[in-house]
Amino acid sequence: MKATETSPQRQESDRQGDKKWYSAFFARPEIGPLGVMILLCGMLGYFSIPEGEFSLNPFAGEGFNALGIRNNFRVIAQLGIVALGAGMLIIAGEFDLSVGSMIGFAGGCMAMILKWGFAFVIPYISFQGGFHFEGLKLFEITDPSPLTALLITLCFTLSFGWFQGWLIVKSGIASFIVTLGGLFFLRGVTEVSYREFNRAPDQTAGSTTVTELPDIKNIINIPGHGEIERDTAKNLPNEQLLEILSTVPANTITKLTEQLTYINEKVAANKTILASKKMIQTLEKSLEGAKKSGNDSMVEILTEKINAGVEVPAVAAKVVTDIDIAKAYIDTIVTARPVANFFGGDILEPVFEWLYFSADWNVNMYGNIFAKGMYSCLMVWFIIALVCYFVLSRTQAGNWIYSTGGNLNAAKANGVPTNKVKISLFMFTAFCATMFAACQVFEVNTADTAKGNLKELEAIAAAVIGGVVLTGGFGTILGIILGTIIFGIAKEAFFYIPGIDGSFYRVFLGAVLVAAALTNENIRKRIIGGV
Amino acid sequence: MIDKSQKPLIEIKNLVKKFGNFTALNGVSLDVYPGEVHALLGDNGAGKSTLIKVLSGVHPATSGNILVGGKEVNFLTPRQATDSGIGTVYQDLALNALTSVTRNFFLGREIKKGPGPFGIMQMKEMNRITIEEMAKIGINISNPEQPVGTMSGGQRQTLAIARAIYFGAKILILDEPTSALGQKQQMEVLKTIKDVQKLGHIAIILITHNEIHARLIADRYTFLSLGEVIGSGLAEELGGDDIKRLMAGGAEIGDLRDELGA
Ligand SMILES: Nc1ncnc2c1ncn2[C@@H]1O[C@H](COP(=O)(O)OP(=O)(O)OP(=O)(O)O)[C@@H](O)[C@H]1O
Ligand SMILES: [Mg+2]
Repeated sequence: MKATETSPQRQESDRQGDKKWYSAFFARPEIGPLGVMILLCGMLGYFSIPEGEFSLNPFAGEGFNALGIRNNFRVIAQLGIVALGAGMLIIAGEFDLSVGSMIGFAGGCMAMILKWGFAFVIPYISFQGGFHFEGLKLFEITDPSPLTALLITLCFTLSFGWFQGWLIVKSGIASFIVTLGGLFFLRGVTEVSYREFNRAPDQTAGSTTVTELPDIKNIINIPGHGEIERDTAKNLPNEQLLEILSTVPANTITKLTEQLTYINEKVAANKTILASKKMIQTLEKSLEGAKKSGNDSMVEILTEKINAGVEVPAVAAKVVTDIDIAKAYIDTIVTARPVANFFGGDILEPVFEWLYFSADWNVNMYGNIFAKGMYSCLMVWFIIALVCYFVLSRTQAGNWIYSTGGNLNAAKANGVPTNKVKISLFMFTAFCATMFAACQVFEVNTADTAKGNLKELEAIAAAVIGGVVLTGGFGTILGIILGTIIFGIAKEAFFYIPGIDGSFYRVFLGAVLVAAALTNENIRKRIIGGV
Repeated sequence: MIDKSQKPLIEIKNLVKKFGNFTALNGVSLDVYPGEVHALLGDNGAGKSTLIKVLSGVHPATSGNILVGGKEVNFLTPRQATDSGIGTVYQDLALNALTSVTRNFFLGREIKKGPGPFGIMQMKEMNRITIEEMAKIGINISNPEQPVGTMSGGQRQTLAIARAIYFGAKILILDEPTSALGQKQQMEVLKTIKDVQKLGHIAIILITHNEIHARLIADRYTFLSLGEVIGSGLAEELGGDDIKRLMAGGAEIGDLRDELGA
C-alpha cells in the first residue's frame, strides 16, 4: 500500500502527458481533408503534364498553368461562397436546400433589374372596361446602378431567408422540408418571372434568360467620350484613338511601349519555335512514309536532316504602333463601375503581369499573356471566409452557433437566443447565394433560370467532406474551405488521368463523402465520450 | 451548525401547481437558509422536479407565493429566475459536450470586447476565471480548452455548479446530481456540494433518491408525496427509519418488508 502514496501533491494537471510539437497539428480535425486535398492537387498537377514530357514541377501541366489556376479557382471559389453559408448553418444544426434555387432567383432578379429597372407596383382589381388587374405604381427606379440592383435583390433574398428561418423555429417543422419547399418555390418563381418579363407584346411566352446586358464592369470614363464600354472604346476610329492617346502622359506611353515591344518579341519568338516544330513534324511524317515504302536512301537523308535540326527564318516582331498603344492604354483605364468590377472583374492583375513580364511563366503557346488575373469571386470568397472564421472561432456569436447546434436545450437554458441564431444563419445562406449570383451576373453579363442547380447539395457535400457533422455543433471554417477545394478540384484531377472515364470523379467524391461522414461521426463520438 | 436567527433566503408558501386539472403540487411550503443543504425527498412523481421548475421560472405557479430575500417574486422566464439569484443545475446539466470547458462555463454570458454578439471573446481571461472558479469548489482542471465531452461525469457536475455560483446564484438547485454517476464520482459531487455549503452564503436545494447521500450532507429535510409535504425537519431531529419511511411516501417500511416477504 506504500507504493500508491509516492507523491502526495499529485495534481490533475500531472495527468496530462507531454505534448509533442506535432501532436497539436495531427490532432486537428482538418488533417484528413488536408491530406486528400494535397493528393488531388498532386494528381491534377502531374496527370495534366502532356504525355511524353517529363517534369517534376506540378505547375508544368494544364491543370496548374496560369489559365488552369484561374479557371479551377473560379469553380472552387463559387462553390466556396455557398459552402460557407451552408456549413455555418449545419454547425448550428439546420439545413438549407433552397441555396441553389436562391442563386437562380438572385441572379435573375439582379439581371432583370439591371435590364428593365425596378418598380414597386400594387396590383388591384379593376372593373372599368371589364374585369382585369391594374397596377398602382408607387415608385420606379429606371437605369439602376449595380449597387442598387444588388441591394434590391438582397432585400428579397434576405427576407426569404428570414421567412424560412422564422417558419422553422416557430413551427418546429424540419428545416429539410421547409427549405425543400423553398427549393421548388424559388425556382418556380424565377422561371415564371423570366417568362413574364420577357413576354413579347403579342402574348407569346418569353425566354428564360436575360442576355445582352452591357458589360457593366468594363464601363470606363474617357474624357470627350463620357462613359463607354472598354471594347467599344478600343474599336473607335483611329483618329479618335490617337486623340485619346494625346492626353496620356509621356511616361505611361513609354511604359506601355516597352510592354508591347516585349509582348511582340515574345510572340515572334514563339512563332519561330512553332514554325520549326511544324517543319520537324512534316519531316518526321515523310520519314515514316519513306520507312514504310522501304526507300533507304530517303530514310538516311531525312534522319540526318532531323538530327541536324531545322533552321527556320526568325519571325520578325511586329512593330508597335500608336494605335496599339492607345488600345493598351484603354485597357489600363480603371472601371467606372467599381461594384460590378468587385464581383465580376479580375483581381491580382499586377501579379499575373509580373509573372509574364518578369517571371516568364504566365505565357501561352503563342507567346501572349495566358491569364490576366484571378476571377474576382476568389476575393469575395476569401473575404467571406475570413469574416466567417473570425465570427465562428473568436466571437460570442461563434460560441452561440456551436452551442445551438451542439446542444440546443443547453444553449437555451443558458440564455442563448437560439432562434435568433438560426434565423440569422438562414439569412446568411441567402446572403451567400446572392453573393454567388452577383459574381456570376457581373462576370458573364447574362442570367438564366438553370443557374445554381444542385449547388445546395454540393455545398453540403463540401462542408461534410471538410469535417462538418450533419447533426450540428462540430466543424471549422478551415475544414469547409478544404472540403470545397477537394470538391472543386476532383473533377479536374480525374479528367486528366489517362485511360479513365472522367465521370469517375463522382464515384470518388461519393466515397470520400461517406468516408468523411464516418470519420466526422467517430471524432464526434470520441469527444462526447461516455459519461 | 446553522444559525437559527438567520432569515431564509427563499420562502415558498402554499405553492399550487396544476397541469390542466391534474394537481402536481398542492400547497407546498418550505424555507431554505443560506449555508444550508436542504434535501427535497420523495417518491417518483411526487412533484420534486415540478417544484424546482416553478422555482426556476420554467413553469408559472398556479397560486401561492415565492419570496427571495424577503421579496415576492413571480418568474415568467428562466432568465428572470437566474437574475434574482436562483441557479438551477438540471439533470442534463445544460452543457455542450462538443465545446471546451471555458466556452461552456461562459455560455450565453461570454466576456467580450466589441459590438453585440460580434464582440471578441476574451479567451485568456475566461480560461483563467474558469480554472479559478472550479478550483474554489475543489476540482483542478488541467486544460480549460478540453471538450466537456472528455470530462468525467463528476467534473461536469462541478462545472455546472461552479458556473451557476460564479454567475451569482445564491440559491443553488440540484436535481439528482448523483444519479448518473459512478461511486467515486458521486463522492466527488457530494464533496463539491459540501464545499459550496462551506462558502456560507449559498442556499442549496438537493433532490435525490439516495438516502445515504442525503444523510451525508443534508442539514434539513422536506418530504413530498403526491404533491404535498408529508414531513420536514432538521437532520438531527430525524431518525434513519423516519427518513426511509417518509422517502417512500409515508408507507410503513415494515409493511413493505412484510409484503416483499409474502
Ligand atoms: N408538463 C406536465 N404536464 C402534465 N403533468 C406533468 C407535467 N410535468 C409533470 N407532470 C406530472 O406531475 C407529477 C410530478 O412530476 P415530477 O416530475 O415533478 O416528479 P418527481 O418528483 O420529479 O419524480 P422523479 O423522482 O421520478 O423525478 C407527475 O405525476 C407528472 O406526471
Ligand atoms: Mg424529477
